[in-house]
Amino acid sequence: MKKAITWKTFVITAVAGSILIMLILVLSTVWASNRIITTTDDAVSSVSSFYLEAMADNNAEMIVNLINSNFAQMDKAVEFLREEGIGSQEEFRAVIGRIKSLLSLSRFALVDEDNIVYTQYTTYTGGSRHEFLSEEKMEERIVSTVYLYGSSKQLCLAIPTKDLTIMGKRFKACFVQIDIKDIVDLLAFDDQGRTYFGLYAKNGGNLSDTELGPVVEAQNLFDATRDVVSADAWEQLRGDFANERGGSLTFSSADLAETLCYVPVQNTEWEMAVLIRESVIHDQIHGISEDNLAISRRLIVLVLVVMLLFAAILLLQFRKIARDKLEAERETSKVFRSMANTDSMTGVRNKHAYSDAEQALNRRIMENEIRELAVVVCDINGLKHVNDTQGHAAGDKLIMDASAMICECFTHGAVYRIGGDEFVVLLQGKGYDTMNGVIADLNRQVEANISTDDVVISIGYSVLTAEDEQLRDVFARADQMMYERKKELKGMGAKTRQD
Amino acid sequence: MTIKRLSFLFAAVLTVLVLTACSGSSSGQETAVEDSSGGDAVTDSSALSAVDFDHELDPYVPQKDHYSFYFTYKIVHPWWDAVALGMEEAQRQYLDRGIAVTYEYMAAEAASAADQEERLLAAEKGGYDVIGVDVADAEVISKALDQMVDAGYKVMTFSSSDALEGCSRIAYVGNTHNTQDGADLAEALCKKLGYKGKVAILVGSAGAPCHEDRAFGAETAIMAYGDMEIVAKEYDNDSVDTAYELTMQILKDNPDLDGIVCCNMSNPVGAARAVTETGSDVVIVGMDHDKEALHYLKNGVIYCLGVQDCFSIGFDTIQVAVKIADGNQPGELFPEKTDETTTIIYQEDAALMLELLYGDAS
Repeated sequence: MKKAITWKTFVITAVAGSILIMLILVLSTVWASNRIITTTDDAVSSVSSFYLEAMADNNAEMIVNLINSNFAQMDKAVEFLREEGIGSQEEFRAVIGRIKSLLSLSRFALVDEDNIVYTQYTTYTGGSRHEFLSEEKMEERIVSTVYLYGSSKQLCLAIPTKDLTIMGKRFKACFVQIDIKDIVDLLAFDDQGRTYFGLYAKNGGNLSDTELGPVVEAQNLFDATRDVVSADAWEQLRGDFANERGGSLTFSSADLAETLCYVPVQNTEWEMAVLIRESVIHDQIHGISEDNLAISRRLIVLVLVVMLLFAAILLLQFRKIARDKLEAERETSKVFRSMANTDSMTGVRNKHAYSDAEQALNRRIMENEIRELAVVVCDINGLKHVNDTQGHAAGDKLIMDASAMICECFTHGAVYRIGGDEFVVLLQGKGYDTMNGVIADLNRQVEANISTDDVVISIGYSVLTAEDEQLRDVFARADQMMYERKKELKGMGAKTRQD
Repeated sequence: MTIKRLSFLFAAVLTVLVLTACSGSSSGQETAVEDSSGGDAVTDSSALSAVDFDHELDPYVPQKDHYSFYFTYKIVHPWWDAVALGMEEAQRQYLDRGIAVTYEYMAAEAASAADQEERLLAAEKGGYDVIGVDVADAEVISKALDQMVDAGYKVMTFSSSDALEGCSRIAYVGNTHNTQDGADLAEALCKKLGYKGKVAILVGSAGAPCHEDRAFGAETAIMAYGDMEIVAKEYDNDSVDTAYELTMQILKDNPDLDGIVCCNMSNPVGAARAVTETGSDVVIVGMDHDKEALHYLKNGVIYCLGVQDCFSIGFDTIQVAVKIADGNQPGELFPEKTDETTTIIYQEDAALMLELLYGDAS
């Protein structure tokens, strides 16, 4: 069984839908706002971190810290060696190995006063290999860059080892060699690929083998910038490198400005250069804009789809409500129409209905469409007497009993109450065919009721003839017959209006 | 029912849309990644094939997990430092396989057969698996090596100088074509001079096989041309300063000198310094990869240089030494002489060779 949609349901749906849409809009807006704020913060953070000098300083400081840390570890290593009682070459190599491992020292080695170098696996004459050994005596710490055959570059850190004697030999120094690629990896990990950076020697040579943007690439910095900056700026750059000073340089490439900043790395004669392209910032902002635009587009589409779905549901609900309302109105109209044609006391058709029927039948008679039609006129005897002697309630009961009696007899006819005590039965078809028997039975019943003081009805009837032009012609004959019958029944003892 | 279905559909579509909208923007930007191989295209050059830094140990499985070697070479000099780097690479690769190779790699400050002989005698007492020698003087050292082999020591030669033919050392790894190298350099010089002119020959240490062989090869090549004349032949004892002084003297004695053939690493450096200082237009051809010499080559002071593949010499020396230590003899596992290449490079190759060997920043 279909459940009818009420206004309450409709209102609840509309309110719930509206709240849902509002909720989506609010949440989406909040989410989009947060997203924009986060992304913008990231961009601002990135751009801020592109503050080149700070970046370069930071990188340079990391290298200095690395150097200082290695020097500190070497000091510990020397102290350890002083305390170890090393008696053989094998033992010496094993101790060097342990020191390398424990103190994380890269290529840790010791040098005796004959410039023999001792490592964990090798002992070699190192006079030509290590530049710092060219000095007769080592008094201070030495930081130098080593260019190995094969283009590998290393940072060499050496410290003097005063009064260190092992296996009867006096040692003058110990040193570590750190591959510059490892330093680059350390810096690149911290930088997370946001900037271009490179380590450069005094002559502009690239120590780190990193690419400093699309113009400089991995070339010698002086060679790469000679044709893209003014002669003064280029000389300034060379001067800064030669005198271990910091500075900056700006040039254009493919209509985009590139700015590089360089700072000296303390004690190394290196320059740390960091570069950023405008295109990097441009790409960042462009990316954010595209991202936000995409979010807005999706939100708009989402809201539109939600609105359309909601409107579709509302439309369907409206249609259902309108249909239900129309149906209800039809039912009401039907009831009203029924009430207009029905006698409220007996439930049979009333005089209004008879008039409609008479009108319709007259049209059919006129057009000669009907041949079999009978009119039975019934009048209740003694109704006035009952009303006067027993009251109107008894009179009403008599009318209802008489109506019931007529309806029971004329089951195939249309019964009308056209007056207070007067009924008319129109008979067609089967009712017409059985008319005589039914009337005879009814008359017999009426005659029997006289003695029992029950319902007495005077009946007259007539059938449609060729001469009849209207129903009233038939009715008149039946009515006349009914009066004749009323007289007859009076003679039998039935009550009359006069009684 | 229709309304209910629509409501479910509505809710489902809504959920999908909300999730899509929320997740869509998280794609973000792709982080940008540059092709590191997109550098300058390297043109075909002699420099590229001159030194092979890309080595891998052969499939031979050593019998021990620890080896101890002793190597001695002519003189403390950067040329042998380059050989040492090849040795260290092989050592590192053995270590990756769980095999420790320890060794001593020693030389005198000045080339000396006597000093080398002393070192070998000392090494005999060191308990080394193999003793390797870069022969300082073939006449002297070959005898010593024979005696060591007779005494049961496993001895090999390496680098640029082998022992005399017939020496019983087990194997040699290095330059086997020193005479040809000298001849090739001389031929390049003669061609440059139009096969006509006066030339001097600078040699390294007297008796050092590689130097003598190159000098011999150069002399033979030059003598083949009737209009070529050798006006001087001097030994610098592997000293750049001596080479410079000798060249100055030769230039003084022979103002019409046209060219110099340099047979070792120190010769061309000293000669180029002198030629530059005097403003001479003498054509210099020489040996090896000294950084200063390469710069002279780049600047056109030196005409050509014969570059030996030192890195490969060092790498292969350690590989052969391990096999010898395991008792193997030359044959399928390694040849009696492992030949290493020499490549003659010219001015156009100099920059790339400098970059390759020493890097841009040096």
